[in-house]
Formats: sequence, C-alpha cells, structure tokens
Amino acid sequence: MSVIVLEDAIKRYHTGGEVIDALASVNFRADRGEMVTIIGPSGSGKSTLLNMIGLLDTPTTGRVRLNGRDVTNFSTDELTEERRSDIGFVFQDYHLLPMLTATENVELPTMWDTEVDRRDRAIDLLNRVGLSDRLTHKPPQLSGGQRQRVAIARALINEPDVLLADEPTGNLDQDTGATILDELTRLKESENIAIVAVTHDEQLVEYADRVVELVDGNINT
Amino acid sequence: MNRQHPLRRFPSALMAWRNLGRNRVRTALATLGILIGVVSIASLGMATAAIQQQATANLEGLSNEVTISAGPDNPNDGISAEQVDDIERLTGDATVVPERSNVTTLSARNGAEIRVRVTALTKADTVYNVSRGRISNRFRSGALVSQADARLLGIEIGDPVTYDGQLYRVQGILSSSQGLGGQQRVLVLPLSAMSDQNHYDSVTVLAEPGQSVEALTAGIESSFNTANEDVVRVRNFASVQQNVGSFLSTLRLGLLGIGSISLVVASVAILNVMLMSTVERQGEIGVLRAVGITRGEVLRMILTEAVFLGIIGGVLGVVVSAGIGVILFEFLLGSPLNAFRWQSVQYLLYGMLFAVAASAISGLYPAWKAANERPVEALRD
Repeated sequence: MSVIVLEDAIKRYHTGGEVIDALASVNFRADRGEMVTIIGPSGSGKSTLLNMIGLLDTPTTGRVRLNGRDVTNFSTDELTEERRSDIGFVFQDYHLLPMLTATENVELPTMWDTEVDRRDRAIDLLNRVGLSDRLTHKPPQLSGGQRQRVAIARALINEPDVLLADEPTGNLDQDTGATILDELTRLKESENIAIVAVTHDEQLVEYADRVVELVDGNINT
Repeated sequence: MNRQHPLRRFPSALMAWRNLGRNRVRTALATLGILIGVVSIASLGMATAAIQQQATANLEGLSNEVTISAGPDNPNDGISAEQVDDIERLTGDATVVPERSNVTTLSARNGAEIRVRVTALTKADTVYNVSRGRISNRFRSGALVSQADARLLGIEIGDPVTYDGQLYRVQGILSSSQGLGGQQRVLVLPLSAMSDQNHYDSVTVLAEPGQSVEALTAGIESSFNTANEDVVRVRNFASVQQNVGSFLSTLRLGLLGIGSISLVVASVAILNVMLMSTVERQGEIGVLRAVGITRGEVLRMILTEAVFLGIIGGVLGVVVSAGIGVILFEFLLGSPLNAFRWQSVQYLLYGMLFAVAASAISGLYPAWKAANERPVEALRD
C-alpha cells in the first residue's frame, strides 16, 4: 500500500479575475522504500505538489490519502498532528533554529511532547548521520553539509512514513550533495520510508527509483 | 555533556528564553521600557503613601479637638467661667481645657530675644506631649517650652523663664510634632500666670473615644449661638482632615494615572518588539508549523516571550522601586522601613501585576498572528 496518494488533485488559484490551475488533475503516489524525484521547470507546480504531499496545503478538488486514510478534509490542527506523527521535512535552506544545539534542533518536532523524551533517539540519529562529535554545536558553527545532515536527523525524529525533501542538495557542492544523497538512500532502506524529493539537480535524479516530471501543472510520464 | 536544560520540561518557556537571548540589545531595551513603567507606577504610588502617612501622623493629634473662642457677639470679649461650666455640662465625659493666651518676649542669658505665644492652662498634660522632662499632673507651677525655642535660647530643663515678673522653672520640652503646622512656638504656663485676666481666650474640648467631634461642635453651637448672634466660635479639624484625605486620594489617582501612561507606552514598545521579531522569524515559525508544531504551541511560545519580558522588567522595576521607596520614606518620614508597610508596598505588587498583564496583552496579537500564518506562506522566502 502506498504511503501517500493524491487522486485527481487540482489546485486552482483566482487572481484578478483570472483562474490559474497550479496543478491540473494530478495523480501521484509514493511507496515505502522508494525515492521519487519530482522534476520540472520553475512555475511548473513542483512546490504546490510537494506542499500537498506534505499536508501543508489542501487541493481545491481531489483526494489526499495518507496510509490509506482520507485526510482531504482534515482541519488545520488535525493536519498538523499528521505531519507531526508521519511526515519528515528537509528544506533547501536547512531551516535549523540558530539558538538551539544540533541535538535540540533534531528534537524540535517532538519538543512539545513532554511525556516522551526523544533525546536518546536524537543522539542516535545524529550518530547515524556522522555528527556524533557535533551534538552541542549550534547551526552557525556547522558547515552546510553538516547542517543538512542535522536537518535530515530532525526529519526522522518522529519515525515518519514519508520524508519530503525540497532541493535538499541545492545549497551544497557536488561532493557534499553526493554524501547527503547516499545518506538518504541508506535511510530509505534502513527506515523503510518513502522519500519524495523536488529538485533541479541531475545528480539527485540518478539516485531516484522513479522520476516524475511536471510541466504546467501536469505530470508527464 | 548532554545535561538536560532546566526548562526542558517547559518547551514554550525554553524556546522563549532562547529566543530572547538571540537579540539581547532588543530584549534589554524592551525590558528597560517595562522597568521604567513599573518604577513610575510604584514610586509615585509609594510617594503618595508616604505623604499620606505623614499627613495622618500630623493630623492625628487634632482629630479629637474642638476649639471654642469668643464670637463677634460675645459680651465679655472672651469665654467666661460660667460658659466653661456650660461647655463642661454639654460635653459630658470630654476633657475641657480652658486657656488664656498672650504674647511675650523670652530672653536668653546670651542676650538673644524671641517673641513667643504664651498660653496658660491647667490640664497641660491632656493637650501637650513632652520629648524631654515631664508635665506635672495638675500643672500648678513650672513651664513648658517648645523645642525650637529651647534650642534657640539654649534653655535646658530646670532653667528659669520670666513672665510678668514671675519666675517659672522649665519642666519639659514639648515634642516637635504637635498638631498641624508641626512646630508651635509656644510657652506653656500654669493658669495662675494670667490670673489678672477674668475670661478665657479659648476652650479646647478633647473628645473621648466614641464621642463625635461633629456632634459636640453642633451641640455647643446650638446652645450658645442663635441665627443672628454668634456668641462663640466653634471649630474642629475633622473637616480639615477629611479634605486633606480626599485631596490625597485625588493626588494618588492622578499620579498613578501618569505612572500607568508610561507602562502603556512600554507595552506598546513590547508590541512593536514582538511584532518585529515575529515578522523576522516568519520563515522559522513556518518551519515549526511544517514539522508539526501546533498553532497553540506557537502561540504559547510567543506569548511566553512577551510575558518573560514583563516578568524580567517587572522584577527589576520592583527592586529599583523598593530602593526609591526606602529613600523616599527616609526623606519624608525619617523611617525607611515604613516603605514596606502594606500601604506602600502594595504599589510594588500593582506595578508587577500591571507589567505582566500589559506584556501579556501586548504579546497576544503578535502571537496570534504568528500562530495563524499558513506554513506555506511563511516558508516562501
């Protein structure tokens, strides 16, 4: 069963009397253990699609299913709850909080769940991405590659079913990007999660199990 | 190495604390605003409390007194012995002290001379207090002088003073705070010193506890005076005290109003600071929302930040105000520890409460705004 499924998802914007379909009836799915890469020129609706897969945005029409459950009509707070328990995010600009240590940044998504202490898992994750000696460093003291690895650890803290990556190698040089992609590939298998990545990066396409190309809000297969 | 942060159990507080630490100058300035607001409320409140305490202390001795003197239609140009008897009958248990007064010149051994009021009466112990020496029970002989005169003329207890050719030995020095106006320049002598005078210049009635000064005044007035004849003039200080009391309440309200304006200004500053910092952190808050932090949790975090500013500013303000209060009470009343009586210390509490409340209210809008930003919009740089 697919982790995340979009059925006939349309995202329609009304701007100044004009109707724009950022996504035109898209069908999409991602399964456990696979890395799906979404490519396409700017303005093709990649970000809109990723937001919808990440439950950050809802389609104008169509359905969204997470682990077989229809979450299309979930409220803002219910969607937040789903993201917190099942989805991990990695961003191009890392988006770590500068005043928190690496460990605290990794714990961040679960910080408000005071009953469960995720500190040990956070440290374990940082060990796994090779940052065991950077636990108490703050983001400004880390290199770009290190920051992105902290971000990957953060995305995994909640044991997600799907990890979404928006240009994860966009700010990294070729070699560092390759190590990050190796990391993601390893995690995809060891954690048995679906990884959906949006990119311009040819390198990332090589690591993908499946490539989805978006053109003007339509999927070319 | 990985010791738990003490605020770990309170994630909103931990995040708020870390966020405040990011821009220390801004935090310090916002705190300073609150501090000034608290200090202005608390120290103005404490100042009025000090003035109030001083006024009460000064008026206390007068509040049970009714003074009777001859009115314009008095045939004797003074209060006669019979009239004193009438007053005694009218006032029941109250102490009636008739006195005669005059003016004289006192001279010291070194040649210094001063004009003082002389008052002659019997029950001196009921009207006056001495700081040194004593007042003999029936006050048949001896004299009492005021502290100021004693100091000016170098008079000690046991020294002689002369009035109308008679020698009197100084028995006591009057205590300095004696009724309205504080220091009276007065020489107190036994009634016999003015035995040549038939009438009394004034009669002081000291009401017993439970007796109404107003009722005594009205009783005396109605029995001596008619609509067109004022035989006696009757005065009391109850109305003065009331006027002073209500004036001080107005003053206090006015000053507290001025004080709270500065706290309102401070809370606008907090509103501004919080709005700016949430706008700056929009992307970051979007990340928080994306990774599953709920709107309520974001709201609590930002609100906690604002409340922390209020608490820090408030605590510092209270410390500064307490210091100002001590100086104020030392200066106005000579007793610095009176600053910690409820009457004045309550303003520290009000200042603190006001600071926290104002900060929380100022934080509400920025917190609400940050929490309800859609994560997608917030992430778009």
